Amino acid sequence: MNIWNWVALGGAAVAALLVVAVVRRRASASASGRRFFRHPTAAPGLFVLAFFVTVAVAAPLVAPYKPYQQIDIVHLQNRSPSTRNVLGTDPFSRDVWSRLAYGARISLGIGALAMLVAVTIGGAVGATAGYFRGWMDAALMRLVDVGLAMPRIFAMLVVVALWDHIAVPVLVLLIGLTGWFATSRLVRAEVLSLRERDFVAAARALGAGPGRVIGRHVLPNAAAPIIVSAALGIGNVMLLEAGLSFLGMGVPSPAPSWGNMIADGWPKIAVAPWSATFPGLAISLVVMALNAVGDALRDALDPRKEAV
Amino acid sequence: MIAWVVRRVAASVAIIWAVVTLTFFVIHAARGSPFLPEQSQSVSPETLDRLRRQFGLDRSLPEQYVLYLRNLARGELGESFVLRRPVADALADAMPHTFFLALAALLIDFTAGLALGIYQAVRERSVGDVVLGNVALFVNSMPTFWLGLVLLLGFAQWLHWFPTGGPSDPVLCPRVDSLPCLLDFFWHLTLPALTLGLVGAAGTARFQRAAMLEVIRQEYVRTARAKGLREGRVLLVHALRNALLPFITLVGLAFPFLLTGAVLVETVYSWPGMGLLAVRAILQRDYYVVTGAALVTSAMVVLGSLMADLLYAVADPRIRVRGA
Repeated sequence: MNIWNWVALGGAAVAALLVVAVVRRRASASASGRRFFRHPTAAPGLFVLAFFVTVAVAAPLVAPYKPYQQIDIVHLQNRSPSTRNVLGTDPFSRDVWSRLAYGARISLGIGALAMLVAVTIGGAVGATAGYFRGWMDAALMRLVDVGLAMPRIFAMLVVVALWDHIAVPVLVLLIGLTGWFATSRLVRAEVLSLRERDFVAAARALGAGPGRVIGRHVLPNAAAPIIVSAALGIGNVMLLEAGLSFLGMGVPSPAPSWGNMIADGWPKIAVAPWSATFPGLAISLVVMALNAVGDALRDALDPRKEAV
Repeated sequence: MIAWVVRRVAASVAIIWAVVTLTFFVIHAARGSPFLPEQSQSVSPETLDRLRRQFGLDRSLPEQYVLYLRNLARGELGESFVLRRPVADALADAMPHTFFLALAALLIDFTAGLALGIYQAVRERSVGDVVLGNVALFVNSMPTFWLGLVLLLGFAQWLHWFPTGGPSDPVLCPRVDSLPCLLDFFWHLTLPALTLGLVGAAGTARFQRAAMLEVIRQEYVRTARAKGLREGRVLLVHALRNALLPFITLVGLAFPFLLTGAVLVETVYSWPGMGLLAVRAILQRDYYVVTGAALVTSAMVVLGSLMADLLYAVADPRIRVRGA
C-alpha cells in the first residue's frame, strides 16, 4: 500500500462523514428524520455504509493491486499483514485488501440489486393480492406459502445447478426471485387495510383505474414497511450470497466477492487466518450497519412506536 | 377448531407436494448427469446406458415423475445413485445428527437469548444494556458459517479444546454405544451447536428485550408491584408470561433458520446431517436424495409454522379460532 492509497482511504472516511452530516442536516427538517437520528446506532450505521460504498466506488484508488493480480506466487502466498499488504495475502498470493475493496462492489451490488428485484416483485404481488382479493389473492398467497416452505439457500442451490458457470446478473435475478415472498405478505397486509380507506374510495369514485389507485394512492402509503424490510433484507441477501459463494455455487471464483474470499481462504485458515477472517468481518460490519439503519428507519417511519 | 386443523394439514400436504414437484423438475433439468461427473471420463457409453436404464432415467421426464409419485405414495423415496442405498436410509442416518444439532442450538439460543433479553429490558439504557445490545446486533449480523470458521480456528486449531469436525471419533467411537462415546459425541457437538446457537441467541435477545419492554410498561405490572410482590416474581411470573407470547412465533421461525443455517455449519464442521447430505447430493446430481431432502425440509418448515399457530391458540385465548 503506498501513500496515495492511504490518502484515498482517508478521503473515503471523510466522504462518509460528509454524507452522514449532509443527511443529518436534511433529516432534521422533518420529525421522522429527527427520530431517525435519535436512534443511537443510526449515525454510526450510516457512516459504515457510506464508507464501504465509497470504498467500492473508489476501489482503484484505495487498492494498491488489481483484484486478480497474483503478486508473487512463489514468495508471497499467505503473507501476514504488513505495510505492503495491510491485510496480508491469500493462498493465491493476491492482496486481501485489494480484493476486499473490489469485492465490495460485487457484494454490495448484489445485495442492493437483488433486494430491488425482490421488493419490486414482492410489492407488485402483494399489492395485486391485497387489492383484488378473491381467487387472485388465494392463488398468489398459496404460491407464497410454497416459496416460504423451502429453505432459501436450499432452493438457491438447486436452481443454481441449472447453470455450468453462473453469471453475476443471473445470480442477482435468482436471489431476487427467491427473496420476495416475505415482502409480498407484508405489502398484502398493508394494502388490505389501506384499500378500505376513504381516500381510496374517493380515488375510485373519481374514475381512477386499479393501476392508478394502486400505484398512486395505495403503495405510497405502504412505503414505510416496504423500505424497512428492504433495508433489513439487503443484509440477508449479502449473507445468502456469502453462503452460496462459500459453497462454490455463488459468484464464480477469480472475481472477488466477500463470500468466495472466505471460501478461498478457508483451506489455509490455520496458516493464514487473515484471508478468511477479514472478508467475514467486512460482511458482519456491513450487515450490522444495515440492521442498525433498518431499526432506526422502522422507529422513524412508524410514529405509533413514538408513543411508547 | 378441528375443521381449522384439518384445513391447515391439507394445505400443508399441498405445499409439500408443490415443493417436491418443483425440486424434482428443476434438479432433473440441472446441467450434468448423476453418473458422469466432470472429473471422470472413464465410464464407457455402454455402462452409462445400462446405468441409466437400471435407474429408469431413459424414460421421459413426465413418466419418471409419475413413477416417483407412485413410489412416494407407497412410502418409497427411491435409490441414491452415488451412495448405492435407499434414500430413506440415507435420510434416516442424517436426520438424528441434524436433530441433535438443532436441539442443542435451540437450547443455547433460547436460554441465552431469553436471559439476555430479560436482563437488558430490566436494566434498560444501562451500560450493560447498550454493550450487550451492540454485541447482539453484531453477532446476529455475522455469516453463520464464518462464525463457525472463527470458532473452529480459535477453539480447535489454536487452543485444541475441541475437535475440528465430524460427529465422533472415527477410531474409538465409530458408533455411539457407550458412556465415553456419548461424551465424545457431545464434545464434537459443542462447537457446531455453539455456532448456530449464538447467532440465534443474539436474535432472540433483541426480540425478547423489545417484547419485555412493551409488557413492563403496562398497568397490570404496576398493579403487581403495588400489591407489594417481590420484583423477581413480578418480572418472571407476571411480565414474562405475556412477553413470551410473540416468542412462540419465533420458535416456529427458528426451525427453517436452523435448517438453512445448518446447511453451511454442517459443511464447515463436516457434520453428517441433512444439510451436508443435501449439498453433496445437489453437487453430485443425486436426484432422489435431493427430492427426498426437499420433502423432509419443507415438511419440517410447514410443521414448524403449524405448531407455532397451535401453540399460539393454546397460549392466548384471544387468538383461538372460532369455528372457522
